[in-house]
Amino acid sequence: MPLVDPVTMSSSAIVKGAVAQSTSTTKSTPGSQATESSTTTAGSSSSLATLRPVQIKQTPAAQTIRYALPAALTALYLFRFDALVTNPVPVMLNALPVVAAFQMTYALLCLPAAGEPASKSNRKPRPGERKKGGDIGSSTIITALLASVLTSIVTPFLYFAMVLFGAPFLTHGSHTFLCAAHLALLTLFPLFYVHGVDSAAWAAVGGFRAPLDETFGGLVGGLVGAWLGAVPIPLDWDREWQRWPVTILCGAYGGYLLGRVLGGTLFWGKRF
Amino acid sequence: MPRLKAITTGSVPSFLDVVLNIDEGDESSSLASQDTWLAQMKAKGTGKLVMYGDDTWLKLFPGTFDRADGTTSFFVAVNSFACMAGVGIVLTPHMVPKQREMDGIVSQIYKAIETQDHLKSTLFVLCGDHGMNDAGNHGASSPGETSPALLFISPKLKSLQKNQDSPLPDAEDFQFYSTVEQSDLAPTLAALLGFPIPKNNLGVLIPDFLSIWPKKADQAYLLHQNARQIQTVISAASGTKTFDGALPAESCASPTSDYEQLACEWQGPSNTLMSARVGDDMDSQWALPVVTVMPNLPTQHSDLHLIQLTIFQWLRKAQELMSGMASNYDMSRLILGQVTALLAVIFSLSATIKTVSPTRSLTPLLVISIAYSVMMFASSYVEEEQHFWYLATSTWFGYLTLRGFKRTNTTFPAHLLLTAFPVLASLRLLRAWNQTGQKHAGTPDIVKLFIEPHPHFLWLLVGLTYFWTHRQLVYSFHGRIPVPINYPVMTGLVLAAFTFKAAFTLEDAPELVVEFVKSSLLDFTRGASLIARARAVFVGLGLVAMAAMGFILWEMGTGGRKRSPRKVPAEAITTLQHLYTILALTQSRTANIPLFLIFNLLYWFLSSEIDAPDGQRLSTVELGISSLLLQYASFFAMGGSNAISSVDLSNAYNGVSNFNVILVGVLTYVGNWAGPVWWAFGTVVLLGKIWRRDQRQKRLGSGNNGKRGSEEKEERAEAKQMLEGGQISPFKIYVAVTTLFTAVSVAAVMAACTILRTHLFVWTVFSPKYLYCVAWSLGQHLVVNVGLSGLLFWLGSL
Repeated sequence: MPLVDPVTMSSSAIVKGAVAQSTSTTKSTPGSQATESSTTTAGSSSSLATLRPVQIKQTPAAQTIRYALPAALTALYLFRFDALVTNPVPVMLNALPVVAAFQMTYALLCLPAAGEPASKSNRKPRPGERKKGGDIGSSTIITALLASVLTSIVTPFLYFAMVLFGAPFLTHGSHTFLCAAHLALLTLFPLFYVHGVDSAAWAAVGGFRAPLDETFGGLVGGLVGAWLGAVPIPLDWDREWQRWPVTILCGAYGGYLLGRVLGGTLFWGKRF
Repeated sequence: MPRLKAITTGSVPSFLDVVLNIDEGDESSSLASQDTWLAQMKAKGTGKLVMYGDDTWLKLFPGTFDRADGTTSFFVAVNSFACMAGVGIVLTPHMVPKQREMDGIVSQIYKAIETQDHLKSTLFVLCGDHGMNDAGNHGASSPGETSPALLFISPKLKSLQKNQDSPLPDAEDFQFYSTVEQSDLAPTLAALLGFPIPKNNLGVLIPDFLSIWPKKADQAYLLHQNARQIQTVISAASGTKTFDGALPAESCASPTSDYEQLACEWQGPSNTLMSARVGDDMDSQWALPVVTVMPNLPTQHSDLHLIQLTIFQWLRKAQELMSGMASNYDMSRLILGQVTALLAVIFSLSATIKTVSPTRSLTPLLVISIAYSVMMFASSYVEEEQHFWYLATSTWFGYLTLRGFKRTNTTFPAHLLLTAFPVLASLRLLRAWNQTGQKHAGTPDIVKLFIEPHPHFLWLLVGLTYFWTHRQLVYSFHGRIPVPINYPVMTGLVLAAFTFKAAFTLEDAPELVVEFVKSSLLDFTRGASLIARARAVFVGLGLVAMAAMGFILWEMGTGGRKRSPRKVPAEAITTLQHLYTILALTQSRTANIPLFLIFNLLYWFLSSEIDAPDGQRLSTVELGISSLLLQYASFFAMGGSNAISSVDLSNAYNGVSNFNVILVGVLTYVGNWAGPVWWAFGTVVLLGKIWRRDQRQKRLGSGNNGKRGSEEKEERAEAKQMLEGGQISPFKIYVAVTTLFTAVSVAAVMAACTILRTHLFVWTVFSPKYLYCVAWSLGQHLVVNVGLSGLLFWLGSL
């Protein structure tokens, strides 16, 4: 098993993973890691393979919230569903800060932040490292804020991706954009929080080579769910909820929650 | 169009005419050869037939009208107004002004009829062929769509003393006053205007009009004519002589078939009517054989009334039987067909698994096939099939571009911008080009929003497409024929094709032709007829294609392409590819021509994926899947759908002066499947590219040419693997891939049609899908993807 190169290793998730594994019962023990990492010289490619699944913090609060928040999100969605069907834009807009708060809480309490110094290693900041180098990374709140900034930067691109996959372009602009914002907040925000702008980690995520965990599972679930959300639209049932983008949002939420829970439990650490 | 058929011939549209099979030449593309009330009117010869309006009628009845102006949309407007009158309520606010406008037109016409003496015997019929739907023909789902209005207007009709109330209160099911079958229009017009009823009519004279004829015997005569004519149709359909002689009483006691029962019941009205024919009440010119046979019998009004009722009942019964007669299914044959289809699935699956390695690479194909099969059981997904292909194609190409990202050395944003974005944006444009399907038919698309309002832009794109094709054509012949011949010949060919398109568009949709095209292109070829222009293009294409074939065979005779690739840059097979492009452009609607630029871009992407240096390049299976997706996606992008009404006949008669089944059939096929066939050609060229690449690698694998390190090892290993793999030609793999999908889709469509044969939409959704499935599997798969592509691949691999 190729292991962490302490120099090229840039993602704190890698470190966190390693740390987390000391508490969890997985294949390698910290001891063996330490010896292997000292003997192995990891190439650039091996740093990709070493992306570790994100482990949820072991605090009781984190363990509670990790299950409470999906339930709360589901409840919120079900509670607002009728309103969403009748009035998609204001409902999605109003729900955005609530969902943002949920995701923020989740990230701060449950997830390891990007650039958070690993408890064991005193690594030097990389020269190419941006934003999370130095002392900024020590503050998880700043990481969370940066992650939300990144999420909002990425939202227009997600919007365009949705348009490319068939979302209406000339009409329903705010519908699609808000849907993209929700999707980004659900799926990308935790990943930004965990990985920052680490290109190696994002390459692994983008190439679907990252191991499944709550964040990556949520991404895959959310994207697949949103994709499948397009399926009921052409049916001639003439239901109100078939209107754009209710099914997409529904699929995104359902897929995200399912992917997050399954990625964090049943399929944790597995790869495609 | 099927609705127009019902209105004009009086027959039940689309499927029954195939079943009845009463000797008529062409049953689909033109109604000119059929017996319609237009034909009857013309045959009567007491006046002239004049047509103003929707040129669909001109296409359906070529040569029928003495004078016609097919360009205005007057009829279209009347048509939609009629629908609104039928709806009786205002569905959308913007319809109100249009309704007012149409009201004004109707009142203007009626006043003219009342006041002008030469118009005094005018019958003004206001009707819609289909109901309130932007799409036009919808699959009989909502009452609003299947309840168009029918209004007979004439001062003479005042004698009917109907005194109906108007307006009526709103009705949910759009049933106002009385309801008639669409086919009833034909016999009614025949009776009112005094000509024989069209031969295939299944309509029943509208009873309300009978009282226009003061003599009861005249009424009885009209009904008898109607019944007699329908009886002929039934005899022809049932293939029995049950109506000819008197049936034995015992067979009528327990009739064995619906026909027999009908025949027995026919004896009732026939006898009563015959017995009621009284000589003194008859016009001598109406003398029927029966009159001479039958003795004079006393006539009473109650008798005649009873006769009328009996005949009406019989007619309705006959109509019902004939409209529903196609529901006598021969289940054993259906099951036989289904079993055959399932066997085809099993065979093609096993053959494909044997041919393709690794088997894992078939997963996307299986997912597509299974999802498609499931979809065929839902009428909405059949109507909206394009969404499946668009989403699948976007996802597949998204995957291909994302995979390319792993390979390229460029940074992620650069790759996104240079490869993923253009490819996915092309697919998005493809998707939005023509709004198709039923649910959102008629909603704005690129053609409606950007092309039609900006003809200059359209002609810029069209010109660019022709220019690009010209460039590629010249390139493909470069080095084969000398430049002084190559350039003028190809330029002449492309110009002929382009001017034909311009001239055709000037006839078909003059509002799309800009002044520049008119003046500069059409003026110097002025005078040439459309047929001559089209023939010039086809003959030119044929001659150049023959030359291209000659080059291919000659190059084979001289042992392959010996000249350096620098002198002869393109494979000989590409000449045929680009020649087909010109044919496809000629057979496509003008607004669809720019789509070929998008096709070219996607083609270029696939081609570059094949050239990719390492193991990440496009495999043959992936090329097959891409081709399959693009064939279907391009069909729908060019406006195709699973509705019979979307068959585009506008280019079916290019260069054809007399109807010819084969020619018109081929032209119609290319006109509707221009995109899919283009992709079949493109795929063959790409397959040839893969084949040559593999051959090169085989040579590398066998000979040591001193490459060093892992690169050589890798290539050798690959070549070795290929040798062990039994040298399966990429074409075989392509055929395996497309055959598997075709077999699965055919089996699914057949199963869906069989299981859902009692479904409400079986005639409007599933049966048309079945016909399209036949066209896809026999035409596109067997003839194009296996036959034509096989020939081309063979030519290319010589």
